[in-house]
Amino acid sequence: MILEILSSALDAAPALVFAALGATLSERGGVVNVGVEGMMRAGAFAAAVASLAMPTPLGVLVGMGAGASVAAIHGLLCIRWRSDQVVSGMALNLVMLALGTFLLEAVFSSPSSTPSITQLPLVFGRSPLTWLALVLPFIVHFALYRTAWGLRLRAVGEKPQAVAAMGVRVAPLRFGAVLMSGALAGLGGAVLSTSTLDRFEHHMPSGLGFMAVAAMVFGRWTPLGAAGAAAFFAFGNALRVGLSSSAPELLEVVPKGVLLALPYALTLLVLSLQGAKNVAPAALGHPYDPELR
Amino acid sequence: MRKALPSILSVISAILICFIAAGLTRDFGTAVDAFMAMWWGAFGDWPKFLETGASTTLLRPLGEAATKAAILTFTGLSVTVAFRVGLFNIGAQGQLVVGALAAAVVGAKVELPALLHLPLCLLAAAAAGALYALGPAILKLKRGVHEVISTIMLNWVAVSLVDNWLVTGPLRATTSGDNSASGTDQIHASAELPRLLGDLSRLNFGIVLALIAAVLTWVFLTRFTRGFEWKAIGLSQDAARASGIDVERGFIEAMLLSGAFAGLGGAVLILGTELKYPASLGAPWGFDGIAMSLIGQGHPLGVLAISTLFGGLRAGGTRMQLFGVHKSFPELIQGLALLLVAARMLWDKLIDRLSPRKPA
Repeated sequence: MILEILSSALDAAPALVFAALGATLSERGGVVNVGVEGMMRAGAFAAAVASLAMPTPLGVLVGMGAGASVAAIHGLLCIRWRSDQVVSGMALNLVMLALGTFLLEAVFSSPSSTPSITQLPLVFGRSPLTWLALVLPFIVHFALYRTAWGLRLRAVGEKPQAVAAMGVRVAPLRFGAVLMSGALAGLGGAVLSTSTLDRFEHHMPSGLGFMAVAAMVFGRWTPLGAAGAAAFFAFGNALRVGLSSSAPELLEVVPKGVLLALPYALTLLVLSLQGAKNVAPAALGHPYDPELR
Repeated sequence: MRKALPSILSVISAILICFIAAGLTRDFGTAVDAFMAMWWGAFGDWPKFLETGASTTLLRPLGEAATKAAILTFTGLSVTVAFRVGLFNIGAQGQLVVGALAAAVVGAKVELPALLHLPLCLLAAAAAGALYALGPAILKLKRGVHEVISTIMLNWVAVSLVDNWLVTGPLRATTSGDNSASGTDQIHASAELPRLLGDLSRLNFGIVLALIAAVLTWVFLTRFTRGFEWKAIGLSQDAARASGIDVERGFIEAMLLSGAFAGLGGAVLILGTELKYPASLGAPWGFDGIAMSLIGQGHPLGVLAISTLFGGLRAGGTRMQLFGVHKSFPELIQGLALLLVAARMLWDKLIDRLSPRKPA
């Protein structure tokens, strides 16, 4: 029973882990990313469509590219044109939500899903992306805390003027982080349409992007924390699904809706206990204007 | 005029981009037909009216457009008043959900004469939304939690609890029999928003409420001391505090009003069209409010105007399906328009280049 739940959590976690890591990268660089949901949707759609025409592993790469292209728009708006970062993210969510539905109808004449594709081949009995999700948090952690690039990126998220004074250009650093963030969110979306299922469905990613943002906040804007929180939330989801089939009488006591609300309620609780002021990157949400000192 | 220009240009460009997208996926003849169908479906089928003289060809589309416009106006105003003090209320969705539920419950469980019942439902919805918005304001003031994060979390808490528990569990419709009931109990007739034109159209009192709300908000924000204080807080908290304005009180009051507007949006949806809390609310009305507020440049009357436009396009959007264009097309236009409005600096530069600002 426990093993079964752990196993399904392992299958469900990667999408959330990748997206949460992506969100972390962008926000550590000082760019708010509430557009994760839209970037995941782009990734899920593009990966499924591309896999119709090419081997699925390549399709996953296309999904990452799609996520990164959406992020590129976010980057242009937020970094180049100093738009409000939350607005840009929410706008991208709205556009991707409608665009996905529109393309599904226009290209596949189906309101619900794309045709089936061959899923990613399994490695040691699991999707290769599951294994990647186990390793990647440590790689991102290393990159962020043990490399010069990581130090600069974190500095750009705290005090961009200081980084600029050192002679490092702020905009390209931030843009890179936003692009990587989009690629990771796209990868998370691709997990849904190439590993979890074998097609893109119209409701994808059904709020997982926002849950990834919650995981990032829960994990205090650190890669290991965010990935851990994502795994924890995924485990909670798997537990809920597992319980509803094996012990439905328990769900009479604790309703499904309460369990669904739990990740968000917990995040809010943790935030209100610790206070967020000294945890979030200091320059988060502030466009960098070289003329302001 | 210069201030409104980016919005107007953004909406026009968004419509053009979407027209080209529709043309490329079908063909341009179909795209023209589909867009005309949307337009007539939005603001009345004038050619058919002139031909047949049947007033329903005008009133039915206008009624649909007005009901949608009313909800959009309320959520748009919700985001707008919070913005005025510099708070970004992404939580309009959650506040709308709890407001809608409150309206549905009071509408179904309480029995009163219409003169009292309808106001009570509206009051309950506004209070529920306001209370739900109070949380983020307090968290921000006491614990420094950014309101964007707390309202995102509260959205999902509300949606999970209401849609997946209350409405499917404790509050599920009790009426048994041949009609398989989803959602909550039907509200009593005394709680319904009265229809203005009887059976001719679904046009209801909601649009009048929205109109009043928009005008009152405009008057409040521009003609009252408190409205001016809110603006000062939004422009600079420190400067406002230095000039003796109670910033904390401004935050709390603005969020309460913001939540109340979102809750009223939910009430208009339930008491005007759904007549119960349905299994699914259909559209993310609260998130749409962000678009309405920003495209409307945070001006209450701008919000009203832009909500009327998109309410109309959405009502007409359903007719596009006849031409193989998905009915979510107006949402695509709206999203693109918001994205373009977000690129404010780009428009400002363009406009300045085309007609240079006179030196002050």
